[in-house]
This record gives sequence, structure tokens and C-alpha cells, in this order.
Amino acid sequence: MKRQQRLILLVAASSTVTLASAADVEQAMSKSSNWAAQAGDYANHRYSELKQINASNVGRMQVAWTMSTGVLRGHEGSPLVIGDTMYIHTPFPNNVFAVNLKDQSYKWKYEPKQDTSVVPVMCCDTVNRGLAYGDGKILLQQADTTLVALDANTGKVLWSAKNGDPKIGETNTNAPHVFKDTVITGISGGEFGVRGRLIAYDLATGKKKWTAWSTGPDKEILLDPAKTMTWTNGKMAPVGADSSIKTWKGDQWKLGGGTTWGWYAYDPKLNLVYYGSGNPGTWNPSQRPGDNKWSMTIFARDLNTGMAKWVYQMTPHDEWDYDGVNEMLLIDVNIKGQKVPAVVHFDRNGFGYTLNRDTGELLVAEKYDPTVNWATKVDMKTGRPIVDKKYSPGTTGPDVNVKDICPAALGTKDQQPASYDRKSGMVMVPTNHVCMTYEPFQVEYTAGQPFVGATLTMYPTPGSHGGMGNFIAWDPAQGKIMWSKPERFSVWSGALTTAGDVVFYGTLEGYIKAVSPKDGKELWKFKTPSGIIGNVFTYEYGGKQYVGVYSGIGGWAGIGMAAGLTESTEGLGAVGGYKDLAKYTTLGGSLFVFGLPDNTGSATTALK
Amino acid sequence: MSSSKVRVATWSIGFLALSIAAVCTSANDAPAAGAPYQVKDGNKVDAKTLDGWKTWRALACERCHGAQQEGLVGPALVESLKKLSKEDFHTTIMNGRPEKGMPPFSGSAMVNKNWEGLYAYLKGRSDGKIQPGHLYPME
Repeated sequence: MKRQQRLILLVAASSTVTLASAADVEQAMSKSSNWAAQAGDYANHRYSELKQINASNVGRMQVAWTMSTGVLRGHEGSPLVIGDTMYIHTPFPNNVFAVNLKDQSYKWKYEPKQDTSVVPVMCCDTVNRGLAYGDGKILLQQADTTLVALDANTGKVLWSAKNGDPKIGETNTNAPHVFKDTVITGISGGEFGVRGRLIAYDLATGKKKWTAWSTGPDKEILLDPAKTMTWTNGKMAPVGADSSIKTWKGDQWKLGGGTTWGWYAYDPKLNLVYYGSGNPGTWNPSQRPGDNKWSMTIFARDLNTGMAKWVYQMTPHDEWDYDGVNEMLLIDVNIKGQKVPAVVHFDRNGFGYTLNRDTGELLVAEKYDPTVNWATKVDMKTGRPIVDKKYSPGTTGPDVNVKDICPAALGTKDQQPASYDRKSGMVMVPTNHVCMTYEPFQVEYTAGQPFVGATLTMYPTPGSHGGMGNFIAWDPAQGKIMWSKPERFSVWSGALTTAGDVVFYGTLEGYIKAVSPKDGKELWKFKTPSGIIGNVFTYEYGGKQYVGVYSGIGGWAGIGMAAGLTESTEGLGAVGGYKDLAKYTTLGGSLFVFGLPDNTGSATTALK
Repeated sequence: MSSSKVRVATWSIGFLALSIAAVCTSANDAPAAGAPYQVKDGNKVDAKTLDGWKTWRALACERCHGAQQEGLVGPALVESLKKLSKEDFHTTIMNGRPEKGMPPFSGSAMVNKNWEGLYAYLKGRSDGKIQPGHLYPME
């Protein structure tokens, strides 16, 4: 045993010196036995070729093993699996455990010392969306904005870099992403007047490669006025000079938000990185006139230089907190008989977008929940939403409470990532089904203090099925819901689809469910001790397929909603809403791993 | 939205306005003589106090002092205001208590304009005359 470890160390030590790093993460992802990236791949498919567990036997799936993370609070993201090791992460204080899959013993633990003063600036949502792997390193993005590279074999810190300042409200919740030899990370703090940016580091050394801001001067956003394109009057055209600055009053862009805490994607062929930016600074829209570019924007950037090839702003002049950070799925879609390299994105604003990921052309923009009402549609020529004045807090102005806006600020979908069923071409989407009242008010900026300026209440979509979520199948070519399975609460867990014709997801009550990608029919479910906001993942070890998920409620849905609706003000049928969550679950922090019962009668302990 | 407590905090103001209204009785509604605020029905106040509440809300004071001024990371102002003189209140809000994590607000235009209204609002909260949550103009 010890000899084996030493051997691995030796191999690792030499491999970091000799091997080209780029191959490492791609090689790890190419093996379906691994779960080597948060989405399993660069393209955010969250799809696995494994099919030992399939539609006909998933009903017999049972607990294989469990493990406590030792931390309560919201558990987002998922572990990684590379070879015989699983890498587990926790919410703040962001501990990392390397677990030997052979006997579930710890190979190493990394427990960072972080200043607890970061927690108030994160303000309760102490989630962390997971680790990244590449070049024999495990990458951890700590809450205190420290990015750490750990030796995957020993847990030793190889390098660390600081990408923000918690004193002015900058924190991190996102997973770092490894694309070839580059680590990409972002920043959180859209409610603290933080100026968002994406940052690239060299995977080998931790040296900063580039910083691309979301707002401000062209050269800081890494825009080329003549070459960076955007959808303009039905075609792509250059953004022109000062495209961001001229859409802000004075120097408000400096507090402009546009944070970057979502799931990024990478297309190796085009060498482009895809991600979205968050809400503009202050939730009181009257205080920041203009389109507030490039908040709420999909960016396509060159991995080497960070230069933006194209941009598309989904929600100009946000009035609802519809951050554009949700995951970018890279899918080749058949549109009018032609195979188009597309980026598919389910925005907080309730529209499912399909764009040509090479050129940035807008192809599809349709509601993925029919009750979305803040905009009647997206004008396909201008690319702009047609806002319904009735649901526009920017139109009614400060101190007016606008009612029944759908979706609520947490969006028709938040960070919970969708899954692409490579077999059917459909996308499996976990969604929210929640509306809100929104009262903006005048606010002032103080560094490190919240810069919000709106009072909200949220409740289940009125006149619907009474639940606060749906799990849907979406056709990204037509922009159509194929089926929709109602859920009592928002589905705040990332989905997984497998070649075994099964889709998995978790619920806030704590169920992990398996359904058919064909019609959403429930095939299996299991109740874990706490609500699930983590993402389902799968791997193979010792010839056996396993499916796993974190159980540990929290995050915006888990804490915020429960609090908000206990005392819901508007009498709009919140009965049976998040208030009920306390009936089903409580805080927790554990990992659940499932497998099929072993017919040969050996091993699995859980059955006996 | 990665910082959800901010949102929780802001929502709570919204819903507390009505929920607490149901609990409070209006029997002991009248402020003491010489009080710096005027209040009716627990949630309708004079213009100056209303501006004080709006300043409280705009600077997100509830994040540290609690939506009902009951104290969180920062002290419970419903208690502090029983002792704190208006003068000391002014000094504290302008200079902050940096060693305890409270920033100075002397750079805030709203605080400079409305600090007396804010004092009045908090005094009303401390006296139990003004309800927590949303306030409205008296007229």
C-alpha cells in the first residue's frame, strides 16, 4: 500500500515535468469511467456514455456508500473522479478530501485557513461549486478569492493566486475551469457594486494570463471595436468604439456588476471560451439609465488572448436581477436541415437561447416556461426583449411595488446546470416556477456594503400547478418544451443524462430521482437526509457504474426562499410553497453514492 | 447571485412589514412627549422619519443590525438607542467603528442629509412605537 503511494508520487513528479499539460485534462475527460470536470466535459453536456445502470434496472439501484463532508450549508457542484480517487469539496471553509475509491479512506485532506470575515460579504450563501482537474493538479477557488493548485496525489499546494478583494465585497462561489493549459475563474459580488471580470491563469505556474472586464473601456473588456461582433438588425456587426461606457451614466460602470460566477464552456476547435455576465450594479434600475453593457451578456473569447470574438446582451438595462451567468451548452443543432455549431443557454430571464457559437448569430429565443411575463418575446431582428411595461420596475420607478413578475429574481433557472441528451438531441433542464413582487428604492454605494436597492417577495407561480419548479425536456432547435414534469419545489440540482437512457436530478426535499428522457416518467427515487442542490455525477470503478450526489440544502433557494415565504405578504397562494420545505428536510452535508446490487453476492454492504 | 443573504435580508423587510403589523397592537401608539418622530398606526411616520427609514434601507444597515434592529453581527439598536445620545449616534455613524467592522458613513450624501431622521426612526423602533419593516408617509 505504502509502496504503491510512493510509486504514484514518483510518476506524478516526473509527469509534471515532462508531459504537456494540455493533454492531461482532455485525456482524463475522454475516459467515461472518470468524472474529470464539473460537467464531465468542456461542452457542459453533463452526459455520460456509461450504461450499466439503465432504464430497465435503475429501479433496483441502492446506496453503495456515503460520506459526511463535515460541513452544513448548501452543497453545490459535485465531486470529481480520476482513476481510483474521488475529490470531494465542501462549502466554506472549502475543505478538499481525496478519497481512495478502493476503501473510501482519505488519501489526503486540504483544509484552508480562510479569514471568516469573508462570510458576511458572501452573506450566508457559502456555497462552492466544486473543483477542477488538469496537469496532475486539483484546482480550488476559495471563497476569499484565492485560487489554489494542489498536487492531485499529495494535496500539497503547488501555487496560489489572488483574484479579488473581499473587503470591497468580492468573493468566489464558482468552480474554476481548466481548458487545455489555462485555468479560468470569475468573481461574485453583484450585490456589492463589484465590477465583474473573467481571469485566466497559466495552469503550470499560476501566472496571470489575462483579465477581461465585463464593463468599462474597450481595452479593459478586451473588445476590438472593429472586430468584436454583436447581433445588430438581423445580422452580425462590429460593436464599435466605447460600446460599454456609452451605455452607462458617468462612471457608474465602475460599480457595474456583470459578475461571472457561472459555468464556462470551451470549444477546442474554435479555441473560444463561453460564459455569461451577471446583473448590473444596484437593483434599482432608475438609478442607472442605459443598457448597462456588457452586463447580462454572453461572451465568446479567445482562450489565449481573452479577446472577445462576439457578444450578445440578453437583458439590456436589467430591472429584475436576471443574471446571465447560467451554463453555456455547446451543442451541434440541426436548424432548417443544417447542422449548426451552437451555444444553448437557459437564461434567468426565462428565455432559452440558441446562437451560432462560431459567429454569434441569434437563432432561437423562446420562453422555456410559458408563464414568463416580463417580456412578451425577443425581437429576433434586434435581439432585444419586448418588455411588458406592466412588469417593469424601471418604468414605475422607485418606491412602487410591482406585482406578479414572472419569473422571480432567481430566474426560470439559476445556476443548476442542465444536461444534454446526446441520443435524442434534447436538453434536460431543472427549472424554477416562481414569481415575485419587486419594489426598487434609491441606494448609495459604500465599499464592502451591499448595493442592492430593492425589496422582493417570492411565491409559486399563481394559477399554475402550485409547485415552485418543473423538470423539462427542451428542443434547442425549435425552442420548444417537449415535456414538463412538475415539482413541489424549484429543482436546484444539476441534471445528468446517461447512455443508459436515464436522467438524474435532485430535489429540495432531498430526493434523487431517475426519470426517462423520453417522457419524464419516474423510474426510481431515493430520499437523502437533506435537500439536494448539488449536481448528479457518475463514474465507474472496479467494473461497476456508480451515480452520486451531494445532499445538503442551502443556497438561495434553500435558505432565502424558506425565509421569504414563511411570512409571504401578498396572499398569492404561497401555502404549500417554500414554507413547506421545513416539513421535508433540514441542513446537512453528505455525499451519497449509488450502484446496482451485486448479483454475485460479494462486496456491497448497503444491502445487508 | 451568489450572495444570497443580501437578498434574504431585503426580502425580509418586505414581508415583515405586514406580518408584524398583524401582531402589534395600536394601544400604545402615541410617542412620548418630545420624541423626535411622529407615528400613526405603527407604520405611518412624518417625512423626516420616513427619510431616515429610507436611509436605513438604502445603506442596508439591516445586514449587520438585523431587519428588526435586533442585532446580528452588529449590536441591537433597539437596545443601544435607549442609552445612546443623539450626539454619540451622530459621531458613531459618521466615523463608524472601524475596529468592530462598522464603516464610516460620512461620505454618504444620504446619511449627511438624513442622519437626524435615521436617529428618529431608530428611536421610534427602540421605543417600540414604530414597527419593523416598510414605512409609509402619514398623509
